[in-house]
Amino acid sequence: MPSQNLLRGAAALLLSCAALPALAQDYTITVWAGGTGDDSNYRMDAIDMAADILEREAAIRGEELSITVESQAWSGWDDFKQAFTLASEAGNAPDLIVSGHEDIGPWSEAGLIVPIEDYVYLDTWPLSSIYPNLIDVASFNGQIWGIPQDAEARVMYWSIPALEAIGWSEDEIASLPDRILNGEFTLYDMLDALKAMQDDGVLEPGMGFGPRVSNGPDYWQFYQAFGGEMADPESGKLVLDTEALTGMYQFFVDAADMGVVSSTHLGMEWDAWHQNAAAGNYGAWHGGTWHYAQWTNQFGLEDFFGTVQYTLIPAGDENGRANSITHPLVYLLTAAAPEEEAAIAAELVAIASEPRINALHAVKSAHLGISEEETLVPLYAENRWLTAASERLAPHTNAIPNNSDFGTYWTAMYEGLEASWTGVTSVEDAVAEVEASVTQALGDDVIVR
Amino acid sequence: MVAPAILLLLAFFFTPVMLTGVFAFTDMSTSTGIGRGSYVVTPTTLRRLGDRGLGADDAEAISAASYAVDEAGLAAARDAGTDAAFLADIEERLTGETFETARDFELALRDLPSAPRSPRALKSAADLFGQSLVNHRFETRDELAEALAAHAPDVAEEMREALTDDAYTGAVFTTENFTRLATQPETGRLIANTALYVGATLSLFNVGLGLFLALVLFYMPKPVTGLFSTLWLLPRITPVVLYTIMWKWFTWEDGFLPILAEQLGLPAFNYMKGSVVTAWMTMISLNGFIGASFGLILFSGALRAIPLQQLWASEVDGASRLQQIRRVILPQLRWPILFVTSYQTLSLLSSYEHIWLTTNGGPGRTTTVWALEAFKTALSNYSGNLEYGLGAAMALVLVVVGLALSILYLRLFRFGDLVGRPRIEF
Repeated sequence: MPSQNLLRGAAALLLSCAALPALAQDYTITVWAGGTGDDSNYRMDAIDMAADILEREAAIRGEELSITVESQAWSGWDDFKQAFTLASEAGNAPDLIVSGHEDIGPWSEAGLIVPIEDYVYLDTWPLSSIYPNLIDVASFNGQIWGIPQDAEARVMYWSIPALEAIGWSEDEIASLPDRILNGEFTLYDMLDALKAMQDDGVLEPGMGFGPRVSNGPDYWQFYQAFGGEMADPESGKLVLDTEALTGMYQFFVDAADMGVVSSTHLGMEWDAWHQNAAAGNYGAWHGGTWHYAQWTNQFGLEDFFGTVQYTLIPAGDENGRANSITHPLVYLLTAAAPEEEAAIAAELVAIASEPRINALHAVKSAHLGISEEETLVPLYAENRWLTAASERLAPHTNAIPNNSDFGTYWTAMYEGLEASWTGVTSVEDAVAEVEASVTQALGDDVIVR
Repeated sequence: MVAPAILLLLAFFFTPVMLTGVFAFTDMSTSTGIGRGSYVVTPTTLRRLGDRGLGADDAEAISAASYAVDEAGLAAARDAGTDAAFLADIEERLTGETFETARDFELALRDLPSAPRSPRALKSAADLFGQSLVNHRFETRDELAEALAAHAPDVAEEMREALTDDAYTGAVFTTENFTRLATQPETGRLIANTALYVGATLSLFNVGLGLFLALVLFYMPKPVTGLFSTLWLLPRITPVVLYTIMWKWFTWEDGFLPILAEQLGLPAFNYMKGSVVTAWMTMISLNGFIGASFGLILFSGALRAIPLQQLWASEVDGASRLQQIRRVILPQLRWPILFVTSYQTLSLLSSYEHIWLTTNGGPGRTTTVWALEAFKTALSNYSGNLEYGLGAAMALVLVVVGLALSILYLRLFRFGDLVGRPRIEF
């Protein structure tokens, strides 16, 4: 059996068995969190709180334990993933990483992270209380690599005043979520409504639709809306559904042709998008549940429930379904952590997953909780938005697949969207290019339909 | 003098180019890692092999795990330093038992009175009593082959070989990157974008504007010349990040240009990202203003080297300013123009940082040039899937194109004449 594993195991054994209670132990645990803005500080602060609890527990056992937590927040994804990958290759990676679950595939294959299941008991509270579907999202190749840190839903938001202005009744607005869920109201019905808003002068030209301005899991929702499937549940292989991809690209091209969104929308600035969303300048726009926190805290949106309706992403055609994607972030243990630090870091993650601590993150950043118990924490339970989103959206969410090749597919999908949306290529050519590049890169590991 | 020059050349040119050349022929990416890979049999490996004829029975044999509390295991645990009390518990209560899964064995161990508190310690002890082959990282091919032979001796040898090959996580040599670059339509668009970017920036700004400014300043009084030359240097000496932020203030909604346009009743929007044409104009100008100052300095210096007597003589002969420029000045500026053109072509070909910080290749991918795409492919993209191999292949293409262009320029402008022996003795 592998010599390195044996050595690590032996070190762990020595640590647990030989360490005498009287010895003071000092640990420095480093944490890097990606996609972490002003509202998501508890991704790291929870580890800090956990360290305090673990120190106190150790003191009660008669051990002296001192933990220093050093954390770094990265607001974006590109630079964060680049930094972690290159730091790992150079041997300077932190002990703990908070990243998207889809990174488990490539990072585990490259040996940059270690399975957290080797360091914790998943059948012990609080980890045992985490929703099983979230644990599945943190699993890859039959091992559990990470502990889910949050969950979410992605949302189609609608301007209530704009819908009223084109003659929608209160009932019609209230029943929109159900009509979308049943597939009665599709993406193309949405475009018609948005066009009407612009034609009636309710909205500025080109401001009807406000899609996400950069790459994100969000765009897979539109692929699913046209019947696309990202991975085959049976074989685990990636699936490229050319018909669904065509439907998706064509939808954005049609939206641009109708003038409800600009053909150069992608690449716009986030701040401008947030301002327009919070000010009700769009008729419909899609984002995440967590944007609620940003709009109400930083962009001056006051009466959210009075002015904004929220639904799943509508179905695109009869093949597709109304849907929403959840993209849980996970705590991952890196291979760079020395054995003792890794064991401590894993314990900290377990404590940080306790309902009350995780609820701080969920409520402050408007993410969904990771366990049933967390929804009972008063802070969480009394939050109208989280409760509403949990009921209306969360049950219909699915996650993107954990597959080390998914990044290649994702990049190709988004490049095709950019090319067709801006009119550089036709929809057919864009789809053909995605197909060619994905099959060339992945061969038999992708199923083309 | 030659030795240090060769050393520097070796360290800063040949070594990186050589490494790029090697990487270009691999499939190196985030998943393979940069260093040497390991050998891991995963459920995905077994599934892939299943497609290639690995039977279900064989797959089961390979993935089967068994944990037996026997003498060998106890001895291994003793050697690894397992806590004596815990070991005694195991020996006393579990000897002779076997477990099908790691989880069952761990549960049994956790029930023991002296079980360690740390999950990691308990699981490490459990591993000493037998292991599953699946999901273990073997450092060498031989280690995995040996383990496979011991664990699943009934599986055919060629299947075990295939499995070992497939289990390798590191990068392998391939020409796939170049095939991909040669066949994908995206390559054509990138080349067209790069040609437009380099051609327009070079002709309009680096040479065109630089030459124009140098000529205008040449005919102006000295103090004015000094002031303007300094002003034109600003884009070059301003730090890149600051310079690009200033362009954002200049071109974004609520920036200087859109506000001005609004006052004049012209369309006002984010010119940097709001339309393909204005994005190109912004990108070319902001790079061009930096290059223009470079041309300006070189051309000004060259102009001062022209003997004034020639200009006086031409004026006596009745030449106009334009004739003077065309017949007297420009022919003598051939070498500086050669230098600026060749040097700036190469630097524009490989530059991406200003584009990255401003249009970022958008809207869509309309202003993405080769160097930016190479950088994003290899080092910076949203999905974090860094394709070092493909990126290196793209970079290698740039190196080759750069070298070819250098040779072409040198021949075209007869560089040999420039550095040849003077025909007259001074």
